[in-house]
Amino acid sequence: MAGKAAPTPTTYSPSPTTQKTKPSFFKNHDADWVRPDGRGFHQCRPAFFRTGAVNAAAGSAYAEFGNTKVIVSVFGPRESKKAMMYSDIGRLNCNVSYATFATPVRGQGSDDEDFSSMLHKALEGAIILETFPKTTVDVFALVLESGGSDLPVVISCASVALADAGIMMYDLVASVSVSCLAKNLVIDPMLEEESYQDGSLMLTCMPSKYEVTQLTITGEWSAAKINEGMQLCLDACSKLANIMRSCLKEAASGSEE
Amino acid sequence: MEIDRIDGRTPNQLRPLACSRSVLNRAHGSASWSQGDTKVLAAVYGPKAGIKKNENPEKACIEVIWKPKTGQSGKSEREYEMILKRTLQSICILTVNPNTTTTVIIQVVNDDGAVSFKGYGFHLLPCSINAACAALVDAGIPLKHLAVAICCGLAESGYVILDPTKLEEQKMKAFAYLVFPNSVLSVLPEGSSKVVGEPTESGIITSVTQGAMAVDDYFHCLERGRAANEKMSAFLRRSLQPQLPG
Amino acid sequence: MGYSNASGDLSSEMEVDAFRRLFPLRFYERHLAELIRPDGRALGKARDTTIALGAVASADGSALAKIGLTTMLAAIKMEVMTPLKESPDEGCIVIEFHMPPICSPLVRPGRPAEAAPVVSKQLSDTILRHVKHFSVRSFSGMIDLKDLSLVSGKAAWMAYLDIYCLDADGSLFDVALLSAVAAFSHLQIPVVSMNDEGKLIVVSEENGEKDVVNKEKRKLRLNRIPFSLTCILHKKYILADPTAEEESIFETVVTVVLDTSDQLVSLYKPGGPALAFTSSVQDCIALTKQRLKELQTILDESISGMEVD
Repeated sequence: MAGKAAPTPTTYSPSPTTQKTKPSFFKNHDADWVRPDGRGFHQCRPAFFRTGAVNAAAGSAYAEFGNTKVIVSVFGPRESKKAMMYSDIGRLNCNVSYATFATPVRGQGSDDEDFSSMLHKALEGAIILETFPKTTVDVFALVLESGGSDLPVVISCASVALADAGIMMYDLVASVSVSCLAKNLVIDPMLEEESYQDGSLMLTCMPSKYEVTQLTITGEWSAAKINEGMQLCLDACSKLANIMRSCLKEAASGSEE
Repeated sequence: MEIDRIDGRTPNQLRPLACSRSVLNRAHGSASWSQGDTKVLAAVYGPKAGIKKNENPEKACIEVIWKPKTGQSGKSEREYEMILKRTLQSICILTVNPNTTTTVIIQVVNDDGAVSFKGYGFHLLPCSINAACAALVDAGIPLKHLAVAICCGLAESGYVILDPTKLEEQKMKAFAYLVFPNSVLSVLPEGSSKVVGEPTESGIITSVTQGAMAVDDYFHCLERGRAANEKMSAFLRRSLQPQLPG
Repeated sequence: MGYSNASGDLSSEMEVDAFRRLFPLRFYERHLAELIRPDGRALGKARDTTIALGAVASADGSALAKIGLTTMLAAIKMEVMTPLKESPDEGCIVIEFHMPPICSPLVRPGRPAEAAPVVSKQLSDTILRHVKHFSVRSFSGMIDLKDLSLVSGKAAWMAYLDIYCLDADGSLFDVALLSAVAAFSHLQIPVVSMNDEGKLIVVSEENGEKDVVNKEKRKLRLNRIPFSLTCILHKKYILADPTAEEESIFETVVTVVLDTSDQLVSLYKPGGPALAFTSSVQDCIALTKQRLKELQTILDESISGMEVD
């Protein structure tokens, strides 16, 4: 068996990803530059959801926001791991992973561990865990293509998948992020915009209840900017929830026929 | 069309076979099997209480662990394990010891020299199946029949040789690794054991091929493999019989 | 089969769904006797098959293949490597098959599916056959690694092919191979030129830069494309393209791979309770020949569909 797997030669991607120089429009802060895909600053990418993407799962959904494409499968409620202690309420188990080809350079997906726990925390508050005692609901996400705002898309998609699986929730969970680029706030940033952002704010909420389940802020923000960013996100979330709801309604009315 | 074999064998001649049983003290059953310079050691532990992963209340479970001669196990070893597991499962009577696990460990002892040759092939497969089968007998695991594994090499000219050495392998364009049930000595009139018009021993338990060949060439390999089955079965019987109680 | 007696009396009283779950073998055998399968297919018929090319924009070539419910997404990313000393004019292909936890209730994170490395290896064997094993004279694989060379001895392409199973419902290898082949036929090799540091970088086609290394070689030549069909052997029946349920009930599967020049690339039967006799092997090969024509048409249609756009 000696010399079996020939040592894989080191490779590099020929795509010019290393130059993260800010585009020229960015240098004069106040000039009215346009976003790479021509959107307005406060305009989200068109969102698309479809339930029932994975037949083997109890519930699933596929979401596509511009170039960001994710699939979420929900399994369960099913038997908890043997090692788990008895629990009156159900458990939620989340996992997010990246396909190796999801990123511009192969196999450089974001920190999965981190995303998994963020997804868990974002959903935990919305799910009525009392309805499935002693059991576990597994939420697994795979990012097929990373096009920016990956985690918010995963969270929204997961909530649609949970609804598809018939897991009881207080409300749908919608998530949107904004990037701070100099003085401007841009909503639903693309990968390119995320790469040179000064700060990021991600808000996850239950729009009908007007409750926030998760808020993450990184970078430098002033209090006024945070308020502005949150308001932008809250508005976008409630619009997003309408799209999610209509997707679910469509699926439900389609299956009745 | 004749091919001169480096070691002077005829095309249908196998390398010298050797099999010794109960070579390990602690294992419930063991056997070492060698074909020419290739040598494989198989150990069987079990049947033990079923472990959670393979729990099945109605059937026994076979688990195979493949240890390469050197280095770590990779994808190839996972595949060998899967093929071996499914092959052994098909010869064992699984309903006798339900909810148990029997572990078969295959250790490659010698791999017919040549280090320069990249070991992508399945050339160790026949030897390990034969070894595992002898070890299962040694451990007293109930079997439907034995499994006899043979490698056929197909040369560019369409000529088939049996049990090629590694040196010969490099000149072959394709291989068929075949596993058959052993041919039986039966007092029953011929034909009574036939299924769908063919005797059981000509049915294929496992087939793995490597390299592209014409469909006819494959059937040619099958024929030659079946012919060799009888010799191999006789050898197996000889080496397993004397130690059987009674 | 100890159930057969017990189930005989119950079958008339029990609901179909319950009967199917409690006595799956008996349920199927009743269908097989009528030469039909529970999903309405004839025994030798494969499920509906679709291919969508270019599903992933971040890859250089990609395809989504679907047979029945089994779905696979294959994508190729091209990177540059220094060729190995013993083969200065050859590139390299690395094939990896993944079963992420989303695809099946049996896969959990941290506990990878048993089938994944095996299918991965089978795919490598089928697509890269001979390349590693045999000297150049008998090359007969799908892709000539020489086509992946850029600058002899200095640079060559390393093609990373990753196949993700998105939905697992039987015949995984067949769908994976189909998606892999489709991804290769969709592959558009990026145009690169050498920069000052001797590294190759992607340049846009329109710029018309003079140092472009690979002007002509934008598409890979595919010779002898392999296609496969998995069949179940059970008693005298042969069931083509099994679902996950069928695979779990009848444990004997045979996978036949034929290529477009009618060569047998692989005849794979890993054990199983049923023995394969000459006649059933012949039948499986005949079914695969039919299937090869179907798949070739589907692939050709999806490629010509792309060109119209």
